[in-house]
Amino acid sequence: MKRREALARLGAAPLLARCAFDPSAIRVASKNFTESFVIAEVYAQALERAGLRVQRLFNLGSTQIAIAAMQRGNVDCYPEYTGTALIDVLHLPPQSNPRAAFATVAREFRGRYGIVWLAPSPMNDSQGLATTREVAAREHLATLSDVARAAPRLRLATIQEFLARPDGLPGLQRFYGGFNFRDVRTYDIALKYRALLDGKADVATAFTTDGAIATQSLIVLRDDRHFWPAYNIAPVVRAAALRAHPALRETLDAVSPRITDGVARAMNDAVENKQQDPADVAAEFLRAET
Amino acid sequence: MTYLLAHPARVAALAATHVELVVIALVVAALFAFPLGVLAARRPRVSPWLLGTLGAIYTVPSLALLAVVVQWVGLGFLPIFIALVVYAQFMLARGVAAGIGGVDAAQVDAARGLGMSSSQVLWGVEVRQALPVMLGGVRIATVASIAIATLGGYVGGVGLGVLIFNGLTLHQPAMIVAGSIAASLLAIAADGALRLVERAATI
Amino acid sequence: MTPASISFEGASVRYSGASRNAIENITLECEGGELVVLLGPSGCGKSTLLRTVNRLVPLDAGRVLLDGTDVTQLDAVELRRQIGYVIQAIGLFTHMTVAQNIAVVPRLLGWDGATSAARVDELLQLVGLDPTAYRDRSPNRLSGGEAQRIGVARAIAAKPRALLMDEPFGAVDSLVRTSLQRELIRIVRELRTTTLFVTHDVEEAFRLADRIVVMRLGRIEQTGTPEELLAKPATTYVRELVHAADEVYERYYLASRERLRGSPP
Repeated sequence: MKRREALARLGAAPLLARCAFDPSAIRVASKNFTESFVIAEVYAQALERAGLRVQRLFNLGSTQIAIAAMQRGNVDCYPEYTGTALIDVLHLPPQSNPRAAFATVAREFRGRYGIVWLAPSPMNDSQGLATTREVAAREHLATLSDVARAAPRLRLATIQEFLARPDGLPGLQRFYGGFNFRDVRTYDIALKYRALLDGKADVATAFTTDGAIATQSLIVLRDDRHFWPAYNIAPVVRAAALRAHPALRETLDAVSPRITDGVARAMNDAVENKQQDPADVAAEFLRAET
Repeated sequence: MTYLLAHPARVAALAATHVELVVIALVVAALFAFPLGVLAARRPRVSPWLLGTLGAIYTVPSLALLAVVVQWVGLGFLPIFIALVVYAQFMLARGVAAGIGGVDAAQVDAARGLGMSSSQVLWGVEVRQALPVMLGGVRIATVASIAIATLGGYVGGVGLGVLIFNGLTLHQPAMIVAGSIAASLLAIAADGALRLVERAATI
Repeated sequence: MTPASISFEGASVRYSGASRNAIENITLECEGGELVVLLGPSGCGKSTLLRTVNRLVPLDAGRVLLDGTDVTQLDAVELRRQIGYVIQAIGLFTHMTVAQNIAVVPRLLGWDGATSAARVDELLQLVGLDPTAYRDRSPNRLSGGEAQRIGVARAIAAKPRALLMDEPFGAVDSLVRTSLQRELIRIVRELRTTTLFVTHDVEEAFRLADRIVVMRLGRIEQTGTPEELLAKPATTYVRELVHAADEVYERYYLASRERLRGSPP
């Protein structure tokens, strides 16, 4: 039996048997980027640890495909961002307040699609500004308000489009005031952290859960006045699947609060930079947390 | 290679499902393609229409076809399976039509004249005579299907494509390389094995 | 098996899209054991007439009787297994050995292996080929003459009631053809099988035929023994075809016939 189970997990059980409709399996999907993939793997393994059967439909090409698959009943559950749901699915204006954003998407998805948003993670994969520990200590930087004030002494490393977009530097200047950097240089995406580490810049634009931040032990400055839209991740689940598997909500609600920015960064870093298998990374996270 | 060496069981399991997917798809495809090919060989007027239609389907880009099939049957095993069955039609039916159509007319006339029933003529003479050509079609369809089956990794499917597409998503070149090498080895092995069968069947 | 008579009664065939009938109202009697040659140029309908006997070509009007039974009353496949069939292109099955080719009809009829094998050796000897040397050979490794001997052996393997031969020796050189013709006469005499033999070669017709049926444009011009055709050609066409009234030809044909057949029995 053990051996059979192991084989089944490896995917060596007869194909047709595995493809036959299995109403007891929860079909967990992911989109085609690392964070979605790893967090979906966390969900999948958490459900398996709770004794549920899981079928993985990872690597879906887009949000639209994922939502369509949910509506068709091909997928029961996948990790989605509040900001993505709000802007790309519901076509509503962005919201910077995490609670407000979550409340809107939860209400609208339930009504329009019969899809339930379970409790979101604190992790917020948004835009941000990062700096080194040394600069943060020297300039007393913890929040974006701090940066807005200290900007005339600071050099910014960024990418070209950040200087033009309304949710880039112009928006920051209007929303927070200040943000008049001593110097602004644009770099290739891969090189902007390099500039920071080499002392050619003091602050760099970043994505808040970027694995590189963990590797280089950079600090992400808190968006204390919520300028950028909230991109909290949460499991979205078909209401029907939730009814069929009551343990689903309980299991994922226990996992989600533990996925912080730091956890997401570490997992992204492990997969993309350390080239670890997402299954191993997710397993390690679940082991460490319980 | 590093991924292959680190996860041989996972790669082997995915390769096994890959082979399974291709074999099942080709068997099902042959159930359609064989009668279609025989029909094309028997009815010269129907042949260009039939093979033309199948050829036109064959030229639809695989990803586009897959997208259409996904709309229709959803994600998982089914869309890539259906795509493979549809794609293989042209290669298999063309092989059957060319094989049966190329059988020495005198042997068929003699077989009928000596009192073989139509099914005895078909299976005992035409199919046997056409076997090398038909197997050529099977070989081409197999190699192509092994390649196309990797797209299964794009629609929540099965097989080595999972490694390739996961590797692309996760920026893990080792995974992509492992999936590609394994798929290539499968294709080369299938090509070689079917060449041997083809040679054995040559009269 | 006793040789069967073959009768055509007003037999007509029209191929779809053709402007005239391929054969038109053919009435002809072939007695059991007789060798009848259908002689005429290509397109005269002689092959079509031959192929109506084993129902490879269906009739549009009239009947063909085998020993008094309308062939359409018989199962086509069963019928063909009782009638030998030899064609110019021979059509030996190249995926089988010589022995397997000869044993095709016996196998179809459900003969056991030992009986078939014995029959194969007997037939190879009958057509003048050494069984040990030829039995397991591939048809791809036979000369044209050897291949047609196997073709004849295959046709008569299950002792058919009648034998249909469609220009069987048309593709071999004249030396081989003569020896094949000689053997055919010997075999037909021995087996007493009713034989319909199609050719466009006048000399071949004269050598082989008990009776010759001259055909043209789907109709019979004249039916008669070789001597009758030479002596009393019914139409201008027949006269010109056989060069009747030309003593040189007459002597040549009859001498050729006698040389091949030996003195009449």
